[in-house]
Order: sequence, then C-alpha cells, then structure tokens
Amino acid sequence: MNDSRPIFIPVILGTPRQGRMSEHVANFVVDEVAKQDGVETELIDVRKVLLATDNAGQDIKDSQFSDTVNRADALILVAPEYNHGYPGVLKHLLDTNLKEYIHKAVGICGVSAGPFGGTRVIQNLLPVLRELGLVCIFWDGNFSTVQKTFDGSGKLLEQAYIRRLDKFFKELIWMAKVLRNGRENVSLT
Amino acid sequence: MPEQRKKMKCSECGVEMNYHADKLDFTAGLEDPSAIDPDFGGIMEECHACPECGKTVTRRVT
Ligand SMILES: Cc1cc2nc3c(=O)[nH]c(=O)nc-3n(C[C@H](O)[C@H](O)[C@H](O)COP(=O)(O)O)c2cc1C
Ligand SMILES: [Zn+2]
Repeated sequence: MNDSRPIFIPVILGTPRQGRMSEHVANFVVDEVAKQDGVETELIDVRKVLLATDNAGQDIKDSQFSDTVNRADALILVAPEYNHGYPGVLKHLLDTNLKEYIHKAVGICGVSAGPFGGTRVIQNLLPVLRELGLVCIFWDGNFSTVQKTFDGSGKLLEQAYIRRLDKFFKELIWMAKVLRNGRENVSLT
Repeated sequence: MPEQRKKMKCSECGVEMNYHADKLDFTAGLEDPSAIDPDFGGIMEECHACPECGKTVTRRVT
C-alpha cells in the first residue's frame, strides 16, 4: 500500500434549511477533522449541489460530487433529525451515486433540537448507508439541544464535544485505512 | 465467472488492480432491463482498486 497518500474525509452538511444549526456542527467537524494527522477534508453543502427534482438516482449525478466521493476514503454525514428521519434532500443527494461508495467508511453526526442527539436520524440512516456499500463505524457524533451547544456565531459552548469527536475520528480513520488496504490489496476471491 | 476474468490495469499507473467487491446496481437495470441478472434482480458490477494510486473502477459482469 502506498501510505504516503493522505486519507480524504469529506464532510456532508445534510440540510439546506435556512437558519440551519447543522451548519455550525459541520464547520466544527471540518475544523476538527482537519487537525488529524494525515487527513484531508472539505465541506460538501447539499445546498450547493444542484440536483434535478423531476428525476432521481444516478441519472442526475453531479460530476463534482461524484469525483469527490470517488476520491474519498471515508465520509462524515452531518444529519439533522427531521421528524425522526433524515432530510429528504440528503437522501436525494446520496442516491445519485453508488459505486463511488463501495468499501468506504462512514460516520454520522446526528443533530437535534431535542435531547437525544439525533440518534433516530442516525438509526434511520444506517440501512441506507449499508445498501450504498458504505461501512458504518460504531462511534457517532450526537449533538443534542444544538441551539445551546453553539452560539449564534457558531462558537462551540460545550467543550466536551472535542473529546467525544476525537474518539469518533480515531475510529473513522482506522476504518478508512483498513478499508483502503482492503480495496487495494484484499481480493474478493 | 468473475474470478476467471482478466485482471484490470490502472489507467494511471499501469499496475494490476485489486478486485474487491461485487455490487448489485438496481437502478442501472431500469435503463437496460436485458442486462439484469435474473437471479439477483439487478446488474452486477465488479469493483477494482489500484494499490498504487487508489483509483477505483467498476466493470459490468456480463
Ligand atoms: C422538518 C423538521 C422536523 C424536525 N423534527 C425534529 C425531530 O424529530 N426531533 C428533534 O429533536 N428535532 C427536530 N427538528 C428540529 C431540528 O432538530 C433542529 O432544527 C436542529 O437545529 C437541527 O436542524 P437544523 O440544522 O435544520 O437546524 C425538526 C426540524 C425540522 C425543520
Ligand atoms: Zn493507479
């Protein structure tokens, strides 16, 4: 394996909502993951990937998004909980690719106004991500009562999230490395 | 049989790629129903990755 290549972990901000608090979470996650050794990242904002809404699936691929996912070793989804599920726009975007995801790691940061840190959106995303060929890690980011976790300018008010996310990143990077080695060196047969 | 097929070569590095997954694509079959594998209900794609540069490609199993 050529270990000199950095691990590339884009972060997908999964809601286009005006006034979204998840944007603060995504910016925080990007800043923190960028501090990890040997990791590169970038933010993918669902608002900026303009997809047709009169069609669905791979027919409406955005080439830049596909190239980014293809190059990725892992993904981080920042997903707010909407009626105990995921935002439809996030699913619409995820559905535009398939082979680009295979044998890559994924971690989810759930965001909620309520006290459960988006655990229900996380649980509901798991079967979708599995069918896409992604491998889900067992650490999550749980951003509960997000309106109290960041101030209006996006400043983190609860420092415990830094330690919690560190565990999440370590596991995600481990899985990303293992899966890269698997993709490149471990044969299916 | 996929395992008997010729190994793919990376278009960037020229090295042999690793065949690491089979993935069923249910949507591709909507466009090309004749290519659907009747045992699986979708189109089977092989996934290959380059051990040198990481490039990934897929190949349809016919
Ligand atoms: C359509 C919609 C449904 C929502 N459903 C839930 C919910 O089921 N549970 C919850 O804790 N918060 C719910 N919320 C509140 C969000 O969790 C809250 O807005 C939070 O800030 C994260 O979403 P945001 O990035 O859009 O701000 C909902 C918000 C919207 C817009
Ligand atoms: Zn190569």
